[in-house]
Amino acid sequence: MICKELVYLLADYLDGTMEETLRQELSVHIEMCEPCLNFLKTYDKTRILCRQIQPEEIPEEMRLRLRSFVLQKVSEHHRDIEKYLERAAGERREQVAGILRAYVANELSPTMSVLFRAHRERCPRCGGFLKGLNGGKEFPAVPPDIEEHIAEFLEALPPGEVPPLP
Amino acid sequence: MPAERLLDDNVLLEELRKGTPQAVEMLFDRFHGKIFSLAMSILKNESDAEEAAQDVFLTVVQKAHTFKGNSALYSWIYRICVNTCLMRLRGKRRGETVSIEDFMPVFTEDGMHASLIDDWSKEVERKALDKELGQVIKRFTGNLSEKYRVVFVLSDVEGLSNEETAQILGLTVPAVKSRLHRARLYLRDQLARYLREGKTE
Repeated sequence: MICKELVYLLADYLDGTMEETLRQELSVHIEMCEPCLNFLKTYDKTRILCRQIQPEEIPEEMRLRLRSFVLQKVSEHHRDIEKYLERAAGERREQVAGILRAYVANELSPTMSVLFRAHRERCPRCGGFLKGLNGGKEFPAVPPDIEEHIAEFLEALPPGEVPPLP
Repeated sequence: MPAERLLDDNVLLEELRKGTPQAVEMLFDRFHGKIFSLAMSILKNESDAEEAAQDVFLTVVQKAHTFKGNSALYSWIYRICVNTCLMRLRGKRRGETVSIEDFMPVFTEDGMHASLIDDWSKEVERKALDKELGQVIKRFTGNLSEKYRVVFVLSDVEGLSNEETAQILGLTVPAVKSRLHRARLYLRDQLARYLREGKTE
């Protein structure tokens, strides 16, 4: 072991990840070599000193400014998301109303008609609701679970089939 | 929602995703100190660090739903902070940095120390809490190029493990260890010169 090798192995030596035989070789060298002992002590001291560095503190005025900026921007961001969600819900409601009107008025495309009737027969909730519509009288409000079913149905349409306009 | 529940990282993230205002406050209060000091040690300028911190918080909130939980929350946030700061540095003229090679130990042809190695470790103990010494160390590390500085700050100043530092920076553990070692050799040498000559150059 020479000094040069020792210097480049110091980090492993100090953090305890060094293999035992090599470790002993290093210890033997250090015992005999004053410059290396001094190097080891000062290298280790450097590490310790750095742990004690005080972190850069944010000035109080800046902290307050940063805090209100972040809170403000995040609340705007969430208002945007809420607006988007509201708009999406509105669009969905209209699409569902569109297909229901077309269904009652027998204006669904042939494919859509087959698929929609198949869903009606399969799903007791929607089936019951849709049968109630056949009178063609006043349009009742669509219960949320049925709206969700029909919206899912609309999302899974085969290629080329577009939902009827509201 | 009781404030203590927000101390749980998973609860905090869940509430951030929902946009709960107390969660944003908790996020800020818990992390602003670390984010600012980390940004300062990379950018070395208060107003740059402030702008970077703004970006970091907004990114954390916007990406809260993408956090996978396979690392600790703080290391995910540090990663965002480091990336934000490095992006900002890219657009700037960098300050002067020293060449680390000039401070590496020198050896004779047969591999012995070629310069005098003093033991100043005891001397510095009396100065350990000395404010001046802290400032001097900060100045020395500030002169390192960011390749070494960032690794050094995360591992030796913030006290993260080499594995965590590697994960945050997208480096391998051996790369982190070798950069860290060189940064320490540089700093050891600078401190030795400073203590020997009472000057920094």
